Amino acid sequence: MRVNLQEQKSTASSSLLKKNVRKFMRNKLAVIGLFVVVLMTIACIIGAIAGVDYNTPVLTEMKKAPGNGHLFGTDTIGRDLFARVLIGGCYSILIGVFCAVLSSVIGAVLGAVAGFFGGKTDAILVRVSEIFQAFPQLVLVMMLVAIVNKRGLTNLLFIFVVTGWMTTFRMVRNEYMSLKGETYVKVCEAFGMSGNNIMFKQILPNVMSPIIVSTTTNVAFFILQEASLSFIGLGVADSTPTWGNILNAAKSISIVTDQWWIWVFPGLAISLFVLAINFLGDGLRDVLDAKQQ
Amino acid sequence: MVKYIIKKLLMMIPMLLLISFIVFYGLQLTGIDPINFMVSPEVLSSNKDNIDALRESLGLNDPLIVQYFHWLINCLQGDLGYSFDGSSIVSIISVRLPYTFELAGYSLVFSAILGIGIGIISAIRQNGIIDYVGRVLAVLGQAVPQFLVGIILIQIFAIKLGIFPSGNRVSPEATNPFIDAFLHLFLPVVTLTIGMVAVLMRYARNTMLDVLNCDYIKTARSKGIPEWKVYLKHGFRNAMKPVLVILVFRIPMLVGGSVVIESVFSYPGIGLTMTDAIVSGDYPIVLVTTMIIAGTMLICSFMVDVFNALLDPRVRLSE
Repeated sequence: MRVNLQEQKSTASSSLLKKNVRKFMRNKLAVIGLFVVVLMTIACIIGAIAGVDYNTPVLTEMKKAPGNGHLFGTDTIGRDLFARVLIGGCYSILIGVFCAVLSSVIGAVLGAVAGFFGGKTDAILVRVSEIFQAFPQLVLVMMLVAIVNKRGLTNLLFIFVVTGWMTTFRMVRNEYMSLKGETYVKVCEAFGMSGNNIMFKQILPNVMSPIIVSTTTNVAFFILQEASLSFIGLGVADSTPTWGNILNAAKSISIVTDQWWIWVFPGLAISLFVLAINFLGDGLRDVLDAKQQ
Repeated sequence: MVKYIIKKLLMMIPMLLLISFIVFYGLQLTGIDPINFMVSPEVLSSNKDNIDALRESLGLNDPLIVQYFHWLINCLQGDLGYSFDGSSIVSIISVRLPYTFELAGYSLVFSAILGIGIGIISAIRQNGIIDYVGRVLAVLGQAVPQFLVGIILIQIFAIKLGIFPSGNRVSPEATNPFIDAFLHLFLPVVTLTIGMVAVLMRYARNTMLDVLNCDYIKTARSKGIPEWKVYLKHGFRNAMKPVLVILVFRIPMLVGGSVVIESVFSYPGIGLTMTDAIVSGDYPIVLVTTMIIAGTMLICSFMVDVFNALLDPRVRLSE
């Protein structure tokens, strides 16, 4: 019996990445999640590039049901809802991704410093994170809105990042505290490597997986958070459509009863996207979490 | 252990002070002038001297730090001050805080029972019907925004079926206070519970599965202990601890969620009070409600710390 050496070699040398990709592909929900996320993002971006008209009210076309040139119908002042959901998606996804990534970076860096150095630095950083945790986000948003004197996207991004880094911080800190006792860290120290080098070049790659997973799920978290804030009227300004802002129309009971499409479509968009992100996050966790392998 | 708890408790005081000062300072920065709320614009423009005298007597010309301590000392004496429309904050809070406690408390109890119950059952009967339905519901409960769930519930139960009122807490014509409370609380509690159950269920299921795979469960089974006893005495007990920690961890989320849900159901609790005060710029109320919420969050994180210390002696030793 002849053994195909070539074949054996290729399977044996298949990298960790390939193995992970294959493992990920086997998780059907995660693949569907990834697919939906990518599809919706691309659709929203194409909508933005194509320059769909989301902001011109057509007063003769008010509260039109779906169909007849308006795929999702029109809103209370005759703006095309499909265009608004597309553009709103751009903003919502931008808010989610931007805040998730930036707050992860801040949380990871501070967590690394706190966990690695320990002692006083650690105590102070933990205290600071607790203070931030105790602050109602709503009040911070409001204070900033009042100080800057307008409701804007930047306000919201700033507040979300400032109030969103603590969970990543705690997680990374705990990882660092346990990893700092590992032999390879001791070896690096013995070689005289600088603290920075050990922290970010040696330990960080080992903490990357949970950070990636939590960043993914945070995208969903921030999108939902923005939606709630916009819904109670404290999110981004009305002129900027986000999924939450469009849903704000559902505050009026008459719209909820009579014009279902005005809140059902943005509601579906947001739920579908968050659902897909959650599936994707779960899939990534299964692949990346070393403890499960 | 007692020392650890006392230390943690004492730690909360400077943090509360710091938070109150930050909020106080931030609200000053907003440049909202209480005089504008107290005096009508015509009087304001004509009586400059009188207005200045009023400012002086109210202490508004004092340095910020003096104003802050003035407020703080009053608060500690139980005088929370007055809102801009002149009503005593103590009387507003004393009516509305119990409403929020009702809402959050019932939601916490129901979501704990349902979430942990369903989670444990789906772990025991893995891939059974309850497991399947529970997982689908958990996924949906996490994906659909809470306020949207609220709106849909209002749409179905309040408008279409007309069983429950769509908002508020008491109706004037109610005869039986218990039935009235039940009717008004039902929808908001269900809404908050759905969101909480989703997370708890998933977590309880995973923890229980981990526990059931442990060797001591096999040992217990091999000793011939009845299956229900294995689940209840060996599995449930050990799975309970991390689940309880998560439960306490979720309380701040519940507080945050109730702010939004109170707004959806126009339920007159602390959350709605705060949102309304924020929109109208009534900052004495914003200050007090913020402190209540921040205090709740700090107490929760204190409870998490104590729980962890009780369950894991290493936490105590490292302090």
